[in-house]
Amino acid sequence: MKKNFDFVGFRKISLIISLSLFALCIVLSLVMGVEMDISFKGGTLAKYSYTGTLEEGAVTDFIESKLGKDDVIVDLTTSGGKTIISISKTDVLSPEDQEALTEALKAQYPNNKIVAEQVNAVQPSMGRSFFAKCLLAVGLAALFLILYVAYRFRKIGGFSAGLMAVFALVNDLAFAYLAFIIFQIPLNDNFVAVMLTILGYSLNDTIVIFDRIRENRAKMSKEPIHDVVNLSLNQSLGRAISTSLSTIVAMTCVAVVAAVMNLDSIISFAIPMLFGLVSGSYTSLFLCPPVWSLWMEKKAKKGNK
Amino acid sequence: MKRVARPVFFVVALLIAALVITTFTGVYSQYGDRTDTHIKGVGDIRFGIDIRGGVEATFGPADKNMDATDKQMEAIKDVIAQRLILNGVTDYELYTDLANDQVIVRYPWASHETEFDAASAIQELGQTARLEFHIGSETKDKTDDKGEVIKDENGNTTKVPSGKLVLTGDDVQSAEAQSYQDDKGQIVYVVSLELKESGRKAFADATKQQNGKGTISIWLDDQMISNPNVNAHITDGKAVIEGGFETMADAADLANLITSGALPFDIEVTNSGSISPTMGETALEAMVIAGIIAFALIAVYMIIRYRLPGVVAVIALAGQVAGALACISGYFTFFEGLTLTIPGIAGIILSIGMGVDANTITAERIKEEIRAGRTIDGAVDRGTKASFSAIFDGNVTVIIVAIVLMGVFGSSTSLWAKLLSWALYFFPVATTGSVYSFGFTLLVGIIWNFIMGVWLSRMMLKSLCRFKALRKPFLLGGERV
Repeated sequence: MKKNFDFVGFRKISLIISLSLFALCIVLSLVMGVEMDISFKGGTLAKYSYTGTLEEGAVTDFIESKLGKDDVIVDLTTSGGKTIISISKTDVLSPEDQEALTEALKAQYPNNKIVAEQVNAVQPSMGRSFFAKCLLAVGLAALFLILYVAYRFRKIGGFSAGLMAVFALVNDLAFAYLAFIIFQIPLNDNFVAVMLTILGYSLNDTIVIFDRIRENRAKMSKEPIHDVVNLSLNQSLGRAISTSLSTIVAMTCVAVVAAVMNLDSIISFAIPMLFGLVSGSYTSLFLCPPVWSLWMEKKAKKGNK
Repeated sequence: MKRVARPVFFVVALLIAALVITTFTGVYSQYGDRTDTHIKGVGDIRFGIDIRGGVEATFGPADKNMDATDKQMEAIKDVIAQRLILNGVTDYELYTDLANDQVIVRYPWASHETEFDAASAIQELGQTARLEFHIGSETKDKTDDKGEVIKDENGNTTKVPSGKLVLTGDDVQSAEAQSYQDDKGQIVYVVSLELKESGRKAFADATKQQNGKGTISIWLDDQMISNPNVNAHITDGKAVIEGGFETMADAADLANLITSGALPFDIEVTNSGSISPTMGETALEAMVIAGIIAFALIAVYMIIRYRLPGVVAVIALAGQVAGALACISGYFTFFEGLTLTIPGIAGIILSIGMGVDANTITAERIKEEIRAGRTIDGAVDRGTKASFSAIFDGNVTVIIVAIVLMGVFGSSTSLWAKLLSWALYFFPVATTGSVYSFGFTLLVGIIWNFIMGVWLSRMMLKSLCRFKALRKPFLLGGERV
């Protein structure tokens, strides 16, 4: 006989973990700083590959002399197997200026085979609008998803289920956001893609469990909600583990390969996604249904008064 | 319970195998030199510029206070399209964002390209290309509409021609780059123009007037490019611009600019991005490796844990991936393929993980039913029925997310953007297409999951259960006896 894990009993601890998570997000954001990628804040990012050796100080001085000293940051890094000069500037370099910069670099360092690998320039105003649009996208998706859940689970108090699901989602988004902060990954359009994917995945997870709760509720309408939820969670455990494992393994493969080959753009996508997937699995089991049962119990008490 | 016949499994498995193989290889026939593509394979997948390398730029009116009409924006779009085509770029994405007066262009480097100079390519695309012929070459200071001299920040003025305007680019029928040998034996590159009816008389009068007495200056965007002496009365409407072109390519560039026509007003680049091809190639390789490893690990896990339903799941997953790749490559001719970017590939990998869920839920349910003591047929039947609602709801949520992703991050003309336009119209159109690709691959993956992971999986499983040798509770998740 399988031992039944008391998920519902865990709920107070879950809530505490949630609140600490939110607090951590706020604290770390202030302490470590949130960096926005140029697609949101605007500016220019140019990456030139080079061969041989270059001295960072000399390169920085040269570039500053060409572009002006203010708000220019120069870094020498490695990415995808190449040595890169990374230049970022807060305002936009027009193509004419970009060309001038490339020519100047080539002239200054003729033996280092300087090649413009990647150049991106975004107007700050466009960046801001794009950011607003992305937030809207997340809001829209959340809205559609709540409506869908409320409708599908109307028999067991759909709206409360929808709200609980949103609460779980916010937790997951916070955890993924934490990944961006801790690893100092600038927030860009990948950030939004990750957020939206986790919304979908986490909700998917939560729905599968609520589906079981709905089914059991119909069969066990006299039993306390506490037991119905616990039973449903224990029954769903096998599937939850399998699916979490599959998606997490899939993303881990991507993250590991990207880390090995030093591909920043993929890492900035895969690691937060992993955080979100882990969180999604956790909240679907330990947070959302148990807390929902708490809500339902309170509602039932009010009803009996 | 509806009985599914025994051979069904093999039929389905074979069909899936056929799909998988043809998706990867495509179907081609060769007639001597010529290869005809009947069905596209993964080799035909169009990769985004983050993989292939390429250029993207957003253009807006140079005068920020100007409110361009839709017609003008469309005209700009057409001119840029012409310029791309004349430069040999046919694989481009070009769309307008009429609400914000922007034109967005994106194209990959041609495979034979050696000079990856994005900045000059963008400048060329955005050049106003206003061609003018004037009598003589006197200039005056440029004035604005009120008649006041325009000075830039250093106090310099722009010189514009003061002679009478003879012709504009609109009067040119065609322009062509040509070369000839001069009397010294040097090769000279020129652009020869043929004028339309409208321009011939004006040009004839101008050449008659200046014949032997002066020049007719030729200007491109307030820059004088040529100032030849007139020594003939030209009535056939043919003119030659000899402007110190050093190479045939230089002459061809000007000829193309003139042919594509002038833009209605000056535009400037608001956003630009360029990537060299090599940065993307490693990324593509990495993702493919990751995908293969992920698939393999998941397959092994599924077979070990779920045994018979696990095997069915792996076949279904292969079918799902193949189906998704087919939609991306344009295998199905009624469906235009997708430009696949790195996030798009991530979407395929993620949909493998999510797709396996459909089979997992079913397998778990069947396992439960077997352990509860039901018969094989009963367990399979009840298991598949009970799990459907969960799978359906779960998949629909991912579909909703995918649609929002495609609407927000796609071009304004896409179906999804139109659906969501009531919410999105304040905002500028996204200038990078990479996330759109992610939404698309997720959507396509989930749809194929319904076909493969739900419908065909069930058929295969029920068919397999008809085989006596396979009718063991253990194989469906029961305890080992």
